[in-house]
Amino acid sequence: MARLNARAITAGLVLAILALIVLAPMAGLLNLSGIPGYEPGDLRFWESGYIRRVLFFSLWQALLSMLCSVLPAILVARAFASQADFPLRGLLLRLFALPLVVPAVVAVMGVVSVYGSGGWLPLGRSLYGLNGILLAHVFFNLPLAVRLLLPQWQTIPPHHWQLGEQLGMNAWQRWRFLEWPALREALPGVMLLVFMLCLTSFAVVLTLGGGPKSTTLEVAIYQSLRFDFDPARAVVLALLQLSICTLVAILTLRLQRLPEVEITLVSPSKPIVVRQNLLNTLLILAAGVFVAMPLLSMLIDALGGPLWQVIGTTRLWRSLVTTLFIGLFAALFSVAAGWFLLQYSASLSLAGKTSKAHLVDLAGSIVYVVPPLVIGSGLFVLLSPHFDVFAWVYPIVIAINAVMGLPFVIRSLGPALRQNHARYHYLCQSLALQGWNRFRYLEWPLLRRPLGLAAALVAALAMGDLGVIALFGTPHSATLPLLIYQQLGAYMIPHATVTALLLLLLSLTVFWGLERAIGGKTDA
Amino acid sequence: MLEIKQLEFAYAAEAAPTMHFNLSVAAGEILSLIGPSGSGKSTLLNLVAGFLAPSAGQILLDGIAIETSGVASRPVSIVFQQDNLFPHLDLYTNVALGVDPSLRLSREQADAVAVALDQLGLSDLRRRKPGELSGGQRQRVALARVLVRKRRILLLDEAFAALGPALRAELIEVVKKLVRDNNMAALLVSHQPRDALLASARTAFICAGKITALEQTGDLLDHSQLAEVRDYLGAV
Repeated sequence: MARLNARAITAGLVLAILALIVLAPMAGLLNLSGIPGYEPGDLRFWESGYIRRVLFFSLWQALLSMLCSVLPAILVARAFASQADFPLRGLLLRLFALPLVVPAVVAVMGVVSVYGSGGWLPLGRSLYGLNGILLAHVFFNLPLAVRLLLPQWQTIPPHHWQLGEQLGMNAWQRWRFLEWPALREALPGVMLLVFMLCLTSFAVVLTLGGGPKSTTLEVAIYQSLRFDFDPARAVVLALLQLSICTLVAILTLRLQRLPEVEITLVSPSKPIVVRQNLLNTLLILAAGVFVAMPLLSMLIDALGGPLWQVIGTTRLWRSLVTTLFIGLFAALFSVAAGWFLLQYSASLSLAGKTSKAHLVDLAGSIVYVVPPLVIGSGLFVLLSPHFDVFAWVYPIVIAINAVMGLPFVIRSLGPALRQNHARYHYLCQSLALQGWNRFRYLEWPLLRRPLGLAAALVAALAMGDLGVIALFGTPHSATLPLLIYQQLGAYMIPHATVTALLLLLLSLTVFWGLERAIGGKTDA
Repeated sequence: MLEIKQLEFAYAAEAAPTMHFNLSVAAGEILSLIGPSGSGKSTLLNLVAGFLAPSAGQILLDGIAIETSGVASRPVSIVFQQDNLFPHLDLYTNVALGVDPSLRLSREQADAVAVALDQLGLSDLRRRKPGELSGGQRQRVALARVLVRKRRILLLDEAFAALGPALRAELIEVVKKLVRDNNMAALLVSHQPRDALLASARTAFICAGKITALEQTGDLLDHSQLAEVRDYLGAV
């Protein structure tokens, strides 16, 4: 009981800090009366043509991005399911995990490198705007959707395939009776997740948006605060964004059918063979080329660009160290907070208080509905009248990124930690194995792999963040993503490409390094 | 009559065969197959069903070779221990799939499905989903589908293993009637010697990929002199 109380106190502290970081900015946004220039009528967003346009474009691009990502992903996932012995299968599935750790701004550079003027498939000026946004969003979300949907084929019992064969089902009937029922369980959750990711996407829209015509709520919040100095409009936009995200999250929660798949670079195990044919092979190869091409093209451009000139600047190295610093500290705080929350929820679960345990997990993940830019703008509005927020850039950026990483920690570490707790808690009690010894002999050996994965994920996400750092960063405190954005703004595209390559290498090195250093060698 | 002649199977294409089978089952007969785990009982069923390809030998039904026929065109129905039904479809549809996977049934075919459900005591449950049924009811639905498929060979792969003794005995009686009435040749794989006793006049003992004994069920279970049979039964 004493241990449960200790866990409750630690988890309570974590939740209090979480509430302070998430809810205080919300309160700041809601407490509009303190904002100079605010009129109550500002909340009537439907009277503002600008806000209506921004709202429509945000939803429209998210919807199109979702459809363009998920519909082809169904075909590609099915092709992967059918090609269990495809020689490049493992390699391609690893490649499909890459966009999970590739910073958005790096992907943008890849997209520009392929589809920009002078690229392999030039779209000219029409790249900037909806086309570019869609291409970058599909680059990120098609592989994610494939990896989330593919395991659904593995849920089909082997006997069902055999029965289908014995009953003489053709390809359409197999799809109708075996594959679609398995797929439709996960599809709404995956679609909503991709919709949400595209709705809250910041770096892609900021860099490829191409003007007021192609601005989303996230970018409009940033522009209101940093360029137009219009906090009142930022508040309206942030509240709109928050409302839509909450609505999508509630829908997702109601469906609760997102497949439990680990976000890892390890490829999933082989499923049952459906049928092999040329079309499936072509689909897999086309998707592989689509994902690999931006990274490859960017690599070639960077190697042929002003590599030594960029590497020789102190600004780059300062940004690199800042990026690393932010990434590692965000990972440390996020994993620590997730660990304490999950320990408490596992104890509650074992004590039969499952709904309370679920509530603790949910509290840790609820931040998922609050886009980082909304938190950032809330903090900006709340803190800027009282002190120089730009001087506090590192703690603020680390804190927000750590909080934003928490849902990933809960998702990566939660199942293993709960299982571990349920299986060994009573044994530990009978052996009086607790505290440091329990961690050393039980939890560390059994949980280091998901711990490593969680830390690697949060670090990669924080290092790739452009939203929060763009809001609070200064040229002096720029991270690599902000430096790339500044270089793009100055039309130094070759320089930005080289910086993007370095950021990519740094992100991958840190991801693999943390996963290996904490998680140890895996047998996968 | 189902005849399995010099049937061989190798796990790797170029490896030496690890399984050899010879047996025959008369029309209207259920032959039980017992033996330790991994001995080859389910492999034999998979060879007959066409899920696995033999490396040599023949499978004959009334003298006609079927071992090269595709899975769907073989005169075979199979019932597994679980996952016989599609969970998102109601009972009627699950059974109707056995007639035509396009579900475009003629009036006669639809009537046949209704009759099969009636014979298995499932008429009132026709719109229920498998998840709403007991284990025994689910196996009855699988048997109703066997009935509408009208195939001459029935394979039961641990089909009653998940059921209690009374229910197993009840379903074995259902299967016996089904086999007798439809002149089927059936192979029943079970880990329970009592199932063999209830279902079959004859039982084969399979060990290490071979049929080492094929006798009257009572004799095999009570008086076998073979050490592996005694070991197996002693271990049950």
